[in-house]
Amino acid sequence: MSKNLKIALVDDDKPNMEVLHDFLVRSGYHHIEKYYNGEDFLKSLHLHDDRAVVLDYHLSESGGMNGLEVLEKIKHASPNTHVIFYSGQDSLDIAVESLKCGADDYIVKSAAGVVLLKTAMDKVYQIQVLKSKEKRSQILSWTFVTLWILTILAFTIFR
Amino acid sequence: MEIIDRLSAGDPEKRCYYINLFLEVLEPELKRMQADDILTGANQEVLRQILHKLKSQVQTIGEHETHQSMNALELKISKGQRAEAYELAPIIEQLTVLIGNLQQQL
Repeated sequence: MSKNLKIALVDDDKPNMEVLHDFLVRSGYHHIEKYYNGEDFLKSLHLHDDRAVVLDYHLSESGGMNGLEVLEKIKHASPNTHVIFYSGQDSLDIAVESLKCGADDYIVKSAAGVVLLKTAMDKVYQIQVLKSKEKRSQILSWTFVTLWILTILAFTIFR
Repeated sequence: MEIIDRLSAGDPEKRCYYINLFLEVLEPELKRMQADDILTGANQEVLRQILHKLKSQVQTIGEHETHQSMNALELKISKGQRAEAYELAPIIEQLTVLIGNLQQQL
């Protein structure tokens, strides 16, 4: 089943990125974009971004932004964006800091991590589905109320 | 190799594709690790970067022992301590064996 969730992978580690990409595609996620550094990803970031972001902590050997800096910019521009850290950095301090900054989850890179990340993505997808159902139900309620008011108005005018 | 097996689902071409993806990084980084300035301990920061780059890849492949050794050495350098040649030697050996195993599967 194809899942309608857009995902951005931000990582400079090509083999892990490809493995993760292919695993997510096999799990039904077909709208995936890949970015090899934080700067390129941020250029693509826009207000109310509806993509879920998978972010590595260590994004560059040559002094570019790290994952936490990218996370802060994402949350500043688009606070509701879901961000999941997927990092080789097995550090409690960085994990706690990323969660404090608004990350949804922190997963350490490994074979099991790929599966965990897919589960985290399923959660984000479920949240998105629930939000869209809620929005649809709100629209339906307002349409009903509007029609009801219009019917009463019409009844009053043409009585 | 569990994740590669799962992704390739019995397709030998796909399996080779994934193995090559890892080899493309593992082979040159092992060579960098065997350079004189790394072996003599003169360039600790470069060694830390190589260890960091490779550790998540060996972890994804499922080489947990090598990952643990690399992680411990990276942590040591990050704390400002010096990685000694005797600590690096087993990692180089494990990586050489891993690369050999991967090449055999192509």
